[in-house]
Amino acid sequence: MTETVQPELQHENPLMEGLKLRRAPDPCALVIFGASGDLTKRKLFPALYSLALRKLLPSRFGVVGAARTEETDDDFRERMKAGVQEFGRDPFNQETWDWLAERMRYVALDFADETGQLEIVKVLNELDDKQGTSGNRLYYLAVPPSAIATIVKEVGEHRSTDGWTRLIVEKPFGRDLESAKALNAELLENFNESEIFRIDHYLGKETVQNLLALRFANGIFEPIWNRQFVDHVQITVAESIGIEGRAAFYEQAGAIRDVFQNHMLQLVALTAMEPPIDFTADSVRNEKVKVLRAMHTPGPKHVVRGQYGRGYVEGEEVPAYREEPGVDPNSLTETYVSAKLYVDNWRWADTPFYVRAGKRLARRETTIAIEFKRAPHPPFEDVGEGDLQPNVLVCHIQPDEGVSLEFAAKVPGQGLTLRTVHMDFLYGGAFRTGIPEAYERLILDCLLGDATLFTRADEVEEQWSLVDTIVAFWKRDRPAFPNYEAGTWGPSGADDLMRRDGRAWRRH
Amino acid sequence: MAAALGSISEIEHELGAQRVDPETGQPIQRTSVMTHVAWVPEAWVEAAEDVLAGLAERHPSRTIVLFPEPKQDDSLIGNVEVDRYAAGEGRQICTETIRLRLRGNRVQAPASVIEPLLLPDLPVFLRWRGLPPFGEQPFEQMVRTVDRLIVDSTEWPGLPEPYEQLAEIFDRVVVSDIAWARTSRWRLQLASLWPGIAEVSRIKVTGTEAQANLLAGWLRSRLGSEIELEHEAADKLTGVEVDGEATAFPPGAAPDPADLLSDELERFTRDRIYEDAVKATRM
Repeated sequence: MTETVQPELQHENPLMEGLKLRRAPDPCALVIFGASGDLTKRKLFPALYSLALRKLLPSRFGVVGAARTEETDDDFRERMKAGVQEFGRDPFNQETWDWLAERMRYVALDFADETGQLEIVKVLNELDDKQGTSGNRLYYLAVPPSAIATIVKEVGEHRSTDGWTRLIVEKPFGRDLESAKALNAELLENFNESEIFRIDHYLGKETVQNLLALRFANGIFEPIWNRQFVDHVQITVAESIGIEGRAAFYEQAGAIRDVFQNHMLQLVALTAMEPPIDFTADSVRNEKVKVLRAMHTPGPKHVVRGQYGRGYVEGEEVPAYREEPGVDPNSLTETYVSAKLYVDNWRWADTPFYVRAGKRLARRETTIAIEFKRAPHPPFEDVGEGDLQPNVLVCHIQPDEGVSLEFAAKVPGQGLTLRTVHMDFLYGGAFRTGIPEAYERLILDCLLGDATLFTRADEVEEQWSLVDTIVAFWKRDRPAFPNYEAGTWGPSGADDLMRRDGRAWRRH
Repeated sequence: MAAALGSISEIEHELGAQRVDPETGQPIQRTSVMTHVAWVPEAWVEAAEDVLAGLAERHPSRTIVLFPEPKQDDSLIGNVEVDRYAAGEGRQICTETIRLRLRGNRVQAPASVIEPLLLPDLPVFLRWRGLPPFGEQPFEQMVRTVDRLIVDSTEWPGLPEPYEQLAEIFDRVVVSDIAWARTSRWRLQLASLWPGIAEVSRIKVTGTEAQANLLAGWLRSRLGSEIELEHEAADKLTGVEVDGEATAFPPGAAPDPADLLSDELERFTRDRIYEDAVKATRM
């Protein structure tokens, strides 16, 4: 384990010069509320295990699972071990698991019951004594929104006075502007903003961060990253899966709260933001908030919603949304949303950002495509204006993580026939070290106190403000759902949205 | 066994042919981040192949392995391997390894052989196995061609004298030394003794001669004082005493040779601390 070195000591110590030091987290105990949930088993523990395998966790570390389910420490360990083996990205290593398992505890509790909180405090104090976690606490709230306020209050009242306390709050962060503001107020009653880490796992994806590297570490892109050269931007967050048994959640959320409010608007903000002065949390988040504030509220004609009917995905017939277990047979919940957005600022004025997100679409894909304006005049005989395709720079967030550039090339032979070709940079091809899972990066950043990749209160509120406007005009009519077949690219209205502007969604 | 190729154009042609997927007829994507050249005299062939096997997948690159065989009749014998790796869903990328036997007088002009095979605009790393013939034609040519020279001074006889010659090329090429990288855990451990270590006058190092010399040179150059070195030979660095007092063993496991070379392939700038340590290896 790399040692933490005090900065002042490093400055004075001539022997430290040139030594490569990894930032090492402080000793701490992590408490996961909602430890019996899927997220803990599928994502959080596999991430903790991968961090442990790479020796990125502090050597003085403990983790406490807390949930309503009655379980012993050993039951909890066994269940998490199975999760690591099934969902982890690394081969299972018994020694690493033993290291982690030795530091694991479980507390069964009712979140509203103070006795449960006192039990957690007792276990945490034991970890301080046994594992040397020094009173530092990281609370991970992997619980439904209805449970957050109670836990925050309880944790706030019993917070450690010895070390630091941080709080990771999972999405959804509220269900509208009013509830998000109320939640922020509740959090800020017990914690200050620097202690609150609102997680949007999309920001932890390497390829999302690579978008910043692409834009701000290369001299060639930023000069043309504006309305002068960009015709429009298309952002796609497409899933081929359905709701995977999450009917209770999805019926309340729909695509606009599940993906649009958070992941989609974050991708828009990262694509459109101005260069930050540095890569500190507030500099980056200040620039993102400016984009969200500059976003023009789309009118009803600029937003399309949809719900999938029956169809075929990968050759298999799949049920309609209304036929999914737990879903109201007359449900009006949208499983698809697309919109034309504008960022009203000097850089992007009049440049549309077309965004779409949905379930049961033709394939799983998250991309940001920057479509540049066409070459103004083709000087070649035999080549009509329509034959020249625009250049497109595509950031592939998932799958096939990487960047590709589409440009025209001459087909070998007589005459001058042009064809669009792709120049690909494949992330996994150039860097073969294995791409860390988003949760690994985000948990580690939180342990280090770095909030750059987390969402700030004002960002969340700006996001909800936009979503509330859309939801308000949706309430005025009754859509004819279902309006797209599973396994297609969404409702025809979404194509019309583009067609009216003489454009089309990218096809693959 | 691939057919032996006798010229650069034959090698280029064979590379082009092997980059096409025989099943689909489509070219396999090449995503290269560097050209990696290895100079491997006969005594180092086995060790070099072991390390290369662990590297190809981690650093997609064109690797050119040069085997100097000066006692043979003049000729160039090459063969080419294109290895494919899965990358993304249903996609493959390839890396290329070109093995070249430089026979007879061809040994004298290795740069002219590798120049046409370098990937344009990408950094060129040269791993030189054994003690480089400082000042001699093949080595000097190669130093002028590459961006970074990687050596392992553990492989050098007669230390610390060769460090003097090494220091003379610091202004011409960026140098990495795997022996130096192997001391990094111990340097961190010794640095943690600050300020108690500030007045050290003598160290005893149990390890290779290179490690002992480099650690002593590092302390002398950083602390600006004369420090006596006592060396106890061992295959690897197992202990350091500071003024007669043993230093605690550093935490973590020692990295393997492929990891060490892999780390060096990710560095691009001069390591002034290493250069100062090399210059201070002789009191």
